[in-house]
Amino acid sequence: METARHKKLSENILDKLSLDFLRNQVLKNAYGNDDTVIARLDPRILLAWYLVLGIVPWFVQDLWFLMGCFLLVLVTTKLARVAGLVLLLFGVGVFSQTGYLFVVSLFFGGDSSTIAPLLVLTLKVATCSLASITVFSGLDPDRLSNGLMWYGCPERLSFSISYAYRILPMLMEEFQNILLSFRMRGNPPLHETFRGKIRYLFYQVKMIMQAFYPLMLNTAKRSRTTVEALEIKGYRYAAVNKTVKKIKLATLRVTYNDLLFLAVSFLWISLSILASTLF
Amino acid sequence: MNIIEIEGLTFSYPAADKPVLQNISLQVEQGDFLAVVGNNGCGKSTFCKTLNGLIPHFISGDFQGSVQVGGLNTLKSDVGTLACKAGYVYQDFENQIVRPTVLDDASYACLNYAMPDYRERGREALALCGLEGHEEDYVWQLSGGQTHLLALAGAVSLQPDVLILDEPIAQLDPGHADRIYQVLRELNEKHGKTILVIEHHTEYIADYCKHVLLMKDGGIAWKLPTAEALRRVEELEACSIFPPQVTQAANQMRREGRLPQPCLLPTTVEEGKAVFAGFRYLPPARRSEPARRSEPGQGSEPGQRPELGRLAEAASPEAVVRFQDVSVAYRSVKGEDRVVFDRLNLDIHRGEKIAVIGSNGAGKSTLMKLMVGLLKPASGEIFLDGESIRKKKAEDLSLRISLVYQNPEEMFIKDSIQGDISYAMQMRKIPDFAERTSQLLERFQLTALQERDGRLLSGGQMRRASLAIGVALNPGILLLDEPTASLDIATRREIQKTLADLKDVTDTVLIATHDMQLVCDWAERILVLSGGKVLADGSRDEIFGDRRLLETVGIRPPEIFSMGQALDPQALCYTVNEFLENFQEA
Amino acid sequence: MEPAKKQTATQSQKLMVFVLTMALYGLATLFTELIPKFQVGIVEFSVEYFLFIPLTLSMLFDPLSAALGAATGELVFSEIMLGQFGGLGELEKFITVTIGVYMAGRMVKNPQNTKMVGVAAITGTGLQLLMGTVVDILKVQLAVEDFEAVAGLPESVFATEGFAFLNDLLFSGILFCLLPTLFLVPKLYGKIEPLLGMRPRDKKTGLGSINGKVILGSLVAFAVAIGAEMLAENGTALIEWEAEWAESGTALAIGMVAAAVVAIIALIAMKSSAGKGNAERS
Repeated sequence: METARHKKLSENILDKLSLDFLRNQVLKNAYGNDDTVIARLDPRILLAWYLVLGIVPWFVQDLWFLMGCFLLVLVTTKLARVAGLVLLLFGVGVFSQTGYLFVVSLFFGGDSSTIAPLLVLTLKVATCSLASITVFSGLDPDRLSNGLMWYGCPERLSFSISYAYRILPMLMEEFQNILLSFRMRGNPPLHETFRGKIRYLFYQVKMIMQAFYPLMLNTAKRSRTTVEALEIKGYRYAAVNKTVKKIKLATLRVTYNDLLFLAVSFLWISLSILASTLF
Repeated sequence: MNIIEIEGLTFSYPAADKPVLQNISLQVEQGDFLAVVGNNGCGKSTFCKTLNGLIPHFISGDFQGSVQVGGLNTLKSDVGTLACKAGYVYQDFENQIVRPTVLDDASYACLNYAMPDYRERGREALALCGLEGHEEDYVWQLSGGQTHLLALAGAVSLQPDVLILDEPIAQLDPGHADRIYQVLRELNEKHGKTILVIEHHTEYIADYCKHVLLMKDGGIAWKLPTAEALRRVEELEACSIFPPQVTQAANQMRREGRLPQPCLLPTTVEEGKAVFAGFRYLPPARRSEPARRSEPGQGSEPGQRPELGRLAEAASPEAVVRFQDVSVAYRSVKGEDRVVFDRLNLDIHRGEKIAVIGSNGAGKSTLMKLMVGLLKPASGEIFLDGESIRKKKAEDLSLRISLVYQNPEEMFIKDSIQGDISYAMQMRKIPDFAERTSQLLERFQLTALQERDGRLLSGGQMRRASLAIGVALNPGILLLDEPTASLDIATRREIQKTLADLKDVTDTVLIATHDMQLVCDWAERILVLSGGKVLADGSRDEIFGDRRLLETVGIRPPEIFSMGQALDPQALCYTVNEFLENFQEA
Repeated sequence: MEPAKKQTATQSQKLMVFVLTMALYGLATLFTELIPKFQVGIVEFSVEYFLFIPLTLSMLFDPLSAALGAATGELVFSEIMLGQFGGLGELEKFITVTIGVYMAGRMVKNPQNTKMVGVAAITGTGLQLLMGTVVDILKVQLAVEDFEAVAGLPESVFATEGFAFLNDLLFSGILFCLLPTLFLVPKLYGKIEPLLGMRPRDKKTGLGSINGKVILGSLVAFAVAIGAEMLAENGTALIEWEAEWAESGTALAIGMVAAAVVAIIALIAMKSSAGKGNAERS
């Protein structure tokens, strides 16, 4: 198996970014970590925790405090066992959000005075992103949607979340097969030279676009059955019924672990505030 | 007591010029197990949707007459109340599942109708449908058969008196199909549920159903007890429904005067034993293996030397595809990767017509995807005409080898089948592509439909179109994944004929299928995949004659074959005609 | 009875359109999130590559369901599923996409009129991009303290955002929104509707043209979007946290640490006793 892995690694990076890989990573992120410390926490507690760590940093300019928050969410992200792809996206996202601003302001005659506010900004962006990764990737989609419902989010949204997780594997497989049809029957331009590569890129983009024509029709066929089944299963009836909501939410329970999680987070943030007042 | 009472039901869809259902009156007794049969487009599915109130509450149209289910008039009750009386399982059942985990989906309806004990009801329904132990699984981890059972459990959880299933086994392998029907029988016999199935497989009707309802042009031709219904061979065949092969054989014999005129036709193998008791297996001159299908002018008939297909066979210059120690594993979401093949070795020779069989998930589709280069093996090599394909791109291989998907809709990428057929040729700038396209359209009887979108065609037309797409580039090797899945029997026969015609167009053909009739009629070499390796490899006599093998892998031979075996273990009859020829009055 | 029945039918059709758009656009945005963004020099081509999907569907079906489905799909698939959720700020994206798609859908009375489809597609895209640009400029202005004081920042922000808008509209808007929509709408018209059990849009089934109410509604929604974005991005004006700390000093912080430690000890004690209780009972 070791040699096999070696071969895989040596393959072209574009080959690795195959749909199959993406599908696997997304599924892993959604379902592969339901046994972590984070996943077992009560969704309402986690959402409240997220509200604090996702918003408060925006209000604060203090470097110590921001560092403290950042380290905290770094640890929780690690605990949530988030898929590698998501972390990569996070890295790219943070860099492109503030990194490019930094370059641009240098270009327009900025200097080291530009760095300080941008570092603060970077920490803010990073903290909020990681906090959201912890909560939204760490939690089971169903627990997440229940938690959101408790906070009064529309039923439609919480339904959409769990339905999205259910439909995604199917959709991806279908999309993949359509793309494979294009690939087997198509004849992409040679891409050994640089110009060939550009043309190849355009060819691929065009193919992905065209693939949506069959995908739209196939998905339309499916969604009719789905909506009929939803009707039979009383989805519309439940959306307006308060008792149903109560029954759904009765499964949520705050445990000592949840409170401990809050207390430890609070301790860490207090410590970082202490540090900022001392230094 | 009648659980369903229908009086003068007529229904037409909006903007349709004639009604789909015409003046239907029907009573169904509580505890019945009713099969609804009829040719395509006779209104079976529409009829079933009137029973749970989807028509007229959800699907609007012109509705006349009255439908009562469990004492409720469907016009006066809402869909929710009716769902507790009649559960429905769709033909495309996977779209009916809307929640990510098994228990969640099974109890979803109960939760929505505010039943406080929804979880227990879900669990109970799962247990009834034989899914206990899977409660916490994610739905995409289930096999096709299990997914169907889950859809059924979702309907059962509301504890309805009536269960309606639209073609429950169309997409399943025989092992899973048996499982579904056993669950249905238990629900019917132990729990008193009334069950309606729309079903083409008359063997299953004979084994499990109590009554048969024949629909014709939106009306009801008759409703009769199963045995009596299936004996009306001519009437059923006129509606393109094929009675069990045992019945067909007996009917033919009766017509030829080989059976006494006033004779009750058998509908199952068990009944057949009594009726055919006086017959003996007397093959004319003990026909030899090659004689049965060798075509004149073809010297090297693979059937003549089955040992050539063997795994251990040494290098042969004729091997067009060779698998050498191929291992494949899928990345799994959690835990260990799932190994599909572990050091698979296999040779495919020029001109072979091979059927690959095995249960769902045995790796049939993977095998095909490997050959066309859509999947790369983790280790090992695959050779096409002696060249390794590891470095080749799928698009370069497509001139030599072509794959037709199980789901034809995924092959339609253009907005007309004419466009789909010509696409690959156009992309490769084949000069006479227009001419060739019209030839192909003609050959597959699609000329009249060429401007239509493939998706909007009937099942059989879709298959023909996908086959035409598959052979467009004139590949030397054609791979077909389940070419007859989810088709009714009449359409299967039609496709089977098309496949037989294709034999002289394409050199080497490989079909993955559950359709044993197709395997018996068409294949010259059969590969049985199981547990990541080739468990058996040989001619049909070698495979179907091996009872132990059939049992371990769960292969259900054609009924007529089982009939022959039941009368004489030596008998190897694959079609009704062979049976008629080989069994003589003692 | 009769009108109620009709209402149900349209409700279910709306749900179908919602589910369809959500699934398709959601899947598409998942890819956009994963496709490396083109970066030419300093300008990022951050385009809604797949906006043509909801645009097409909103021209063929109920525009509001398609618009909401698209926005929800993006939120659920690419933000929540990939953990890229940006808090309140996502509301801005949600609302601008909804408005853009809805407007485009409302503009088309006859999907077979190619000119109309084209105009609507580019208008919808432009609207969405423009609103995004306005919000982006305001965002940076407020997020960075002393925006005006940082040398070169204001000019650079205006320049990049303005250029990005024009570039997105002219390059990606035409390539990824206008052309695919023009390609898809006529192809799907009359084919996709029967699959959902609906009649193709014509003069009778189409909604009326855009009126004052629609515009007013969109403006209010956009104001909400800006408000949410600002609230999410910056609150120094609202709450003076820093000042508070400076005065209360170390003592308060030590108090907080002590309280946290006490709470943790108490919780651990309670948890272990509860655990024991459970163990004894069972």
